[in-house]
Amino acid sequence: MNYTQEIREIAARLLENGQVDMVIAWEKGDHEYQTIPFIARTVDEVGRIVCDEYSIHNLSNSLLRYRDGKEKIAIVVKGCDSRGIVRLLEDNQIKRGRLYIIGVACDGVKDPLRAMKQHSGFERIQTPEDGLAAKCLDCRQPNPVIYDEMVGEEQPIRGETDRFARIAEIEQMSADERYRFFEDMLSRCIRCYACRQACVACNCRTCIFDETRPQWVGRETSISDNFMYHLVRASHMAGRCVECGECERVCPVNIPLMLINRKLIKDVNEFFGPYEAGMEYVEGNKPPLSVYKENDPDDFL
Amino acid sequence: MHNCSCENPLVPGIVEVVKIIDETPDVKNFYVRSEKGGVPFNVMPGQLAMVSLIPVGEGMFSVSWQEENDHLEFAIKRTGLMTDELHRIEVGQKLGVRGPYGNGFPVEECKGKDMLFIAGGIGLAPLRSFIKYCFKHRDDFGKITILYGSRSAADLCFKDELFEKWPQQKDTQVYVTIDNPEEGWDGHVGFVPAYLEELNPNPEGTIAVICGPPIMIKFCLQSLEKMGYSDEQVITTLEMRMKCGIGKCGRCNIGSEYICLDGPVFNLAQLKKLPPEW
Amino acid sequence: MKVLKMSKIEQVLDRLAQQADVYVPMLRGQQTGFFSWNTYDEGYDDLMFDILNVYQSPKHVILPQTEKMYSFSQEGQEIKIDVEAEEMTPKIIMGIRSCDVRGIEHLDDVFLTKGYVDQFYKARRDKTTIIANACYNPGTNCFCESMGVNPTDSEAADIIMREVNGGYVWDVKTEKGEAVTKQIEDLLEEQEVELFPLKPFLRKVNYEGVAEKLKDMFEDPMWEKFSEPCQTCGICTYLCPTCYCFDIQVKAWGDEGYRFRCWDSCMYREYTQMAGGHNPREAAKERFRNRFLHKLQFFTERYGRPLCTGCGRCIVVCPGGVSIIKIIDTVKEAETGA
Repeated sequence: MNYTQEIREIAARLLENGQVDMVIAWEKGDHEYQTIPFIARTVDEVGRIVCDEYSIHNLSNSLLRYRDGKEKIAIVVKGCDSRGIVRLLEDNQIKRGRLYIIGVACDGVKDPLRAMKQHSGFERIQTPEDGLAAKCLDCRQPNPVIYDEMVGEEQPIRGETDRFARIAEIEQMSADERYRFFEDMLSRCIRCYACRQACVACNCRTCIFDETRPQWVGRETSISDNFMYHLVRASHMAGRCVECGECERVCPVNIPLMLINRKLIKDVNEFFGPYEAGMEYVEGNKPPLSVYKENDPDDFL
Repeated sequence: MHNCSCENPLVPGIVEVVKIIDETPDVKNFYVRSEKGGVPFNVMPGQLAMVSLIPVGEGMFSVSWQEENDHLEFAIKRTGLMTDELHRIEVGQKLGVRGPYGNGFPVEECKGKDMLFIAGGIGLAPLRSFIKYCFKHRDDFGKITILYGSRSAADLCFKDELFEKWPQQKDTQVYVTIDNPEEGWDGHVGFVPAYLEELNPNPEGTIAVICGPPIMIKFCLQSLEKMGYSDEQVITTLEMRMKCGIGKCGRCNIGSEYICLDGPVFNLAQLKKLPPEW
Repeated sequence: MKVLKMSKIEQVLDRLAQQADVYVPMLRGQQTGFFSWNTYDEGYDDLMFDILNVYQSPKHVILPQTEKMYSFSQEGQEIKIDVEAEEMTPKIIMGIRSCDVRGIEHLDDVFLTKGYVDQFYKARRDKTTIIANACYNPGTNCFCESMGVNPTDSEAADIIMREVNGGYVWDVKTEKGEAVTKQIEDLLEEQEVELFPLKPFLRKVNYEGVAEKLKDMFEDPMWEKFSEPCQTCGICTYLCPTCYCFDIQVKAWGDEGYRFRCWDSCMYREYTQMAGGHNPREAAKERFRNRFLHKLQFFTERYGRPLCTGCGRCIVVCPGGVSIIKIIDTVKEAETGA
């Protein structure tokens, strides 16, 4: 996709008539396959904005930095990103009135991080993969679910595969096999917390993993502390994860985090659903695990 | 440089708590003695030590006083996880202590000068080691002025020294203030920086030593400048989160200086060269 | 010249592994890093001497992610401490590039000098032999030369392997290197070979005078701009070959436990959070600025050389596209006397 021209025009208009104080979008980095988040605050800076095939970042995550301020913010979001905005609104992290949401209908993007890595010389690859990012291959939400202005033609849903197929496979494993599978997967976690930082649903002011009184999970990279970190984080995501896939994308040791998140999405959907987080914003709506109902299922307890 | 029980600067020696004095509702003064008797190591005024309630955590504290070869004193305020647990212990508890760390006060350079000590709240604890040092070597120092303020009368530390022992020392004036008026207090009321300007002590031949909450230090530095004190005449002792105590874990830096190693004592001239991040 | 033929590499590794833990660059599953040859799995892992570099630098060999310091046990008010005196097996880091060797030199500066010697670090470092792999093909984001690193000659290396056709020249530099070479002497051959030329760098910066200039740029607006895309995620600090900041924590259960140190990151808010609530570096911009000043100014002031070795890893993996090259360029071009 390439909506650079359209976004620049909209940004210039919004900044010129003072409707917003800043526009959160993207700009080019040092390489042609590197697009990075960028904030334009003046009409002069609008010329740096791009919205192209490498604009993968979920910019809704950047809104957290401004949650306590008063600035009016315009933000460009794709389908998956817009669910992140619904997440923030449902969690009372930012006021709707401060946002001007520019939605773009997305036909899939490429991952500049993957491109950077493949061109870095740090990987042994014959030919760099130049296709869509992994998370785009079975996209179910190409069109923004919330916006003030929309750019582009509505896109068809791309994902027809069963996104829970791999989950079902793992569920079939014996308890021992499953333990070994996850031990293998999580033992290489270096506890850099990049997944937490990149996640729009991780918006607690003091994260549970930074609490000292008490310290809930130790900071060692032992298998027990690593398990605890990922399981606790996943549980906090249950019913809230908007499947933007950023956590998996940024992980420096390539842990397939979406497997864990998808399992919980499947479970919440089965037990409390049908339910998909962040699909529409209705004021007052809360995720299923944030509300107690007397007839909540409890046979899994 | 340091004589802990083993050669490893990150491993503490064991001490026993021999006395605990309740200074204020949230400050206790802990007297510790090495397991083998005597002090675990010698300190100069202003130096620090890492005190460890071993199963809970470690914290860096200034040594409030070293009593000859008998014991070390740590005045510790209850603020976080470790200090909270520390306030629950009883006499006889074994702690870990490693040190001494930091550069300490420049006691030699201050000899022959008039001393102006300005402290707020728990900030009196590090200055106390210097104040008592001056009293121990009284004739090496000139006039001594102590200005101390706290939130309330109950929050004043070292009350018996403040009101009884120190004012009785030769050529020594002690001024105490609390933030807000309260029943039963007929002393001065007002913040420390304001009281300082009111007293307006003469800068000539004087060294000012300040310690307290960062905001108080910042205001006092401004006041002293207004009153004509040069940068070299003003010393402060700073605090940051510390873990290793030996200038290696990286977190206590102000610019390229580590508070645990190059500080915690800095004079204003040195501080002005560093980024204002403390 | 002594030459190690490609075909003999695994034999050399097997031989060395008899007396030491040999860390070599490997592709293991989805990640690349330095792993112990003793854990090599033929069907799963891939030796990577030929690759430019690996994501995880070998600093974990001498500064482990988690390192136990001492254990303790309580009885009432009594407490006993036991310092971890693990039998330190000798270690060999083989195939490490110059940028990472310079990283180790910096770690040596930090942990072995200036007042205190870190005994845990020293115990590992003394028993570690460094066999560097000279680099002749700078990558897309490499700028080590601009930061004062010689890609084909590492100062702290005990042995330098230099790639030639069919193998490596085995260039012994120190006594430690001699001792290791003795173990595999029979696997080396005498041969006259031609060394490869160093290819030109694709990226350069001009670091000259930058440390000095930064002294006056603490309040420069560039920090606000550059820190905007930074998520303070900390990936840069974990993959950086020179980042060494650590935390000291305790693990206790009942009456026993141990104190350990683990990697920490200056990018996290809790790094300087004080118990009373004060935090000198609360905002992301302040932590961001502190990291780059540490790399480019503070470390140079304290130890004489910049803490950045030009390996380019942070530029590749940063999700926000932050580039230290851009920052150095901006400082270099800034008007002085602002």
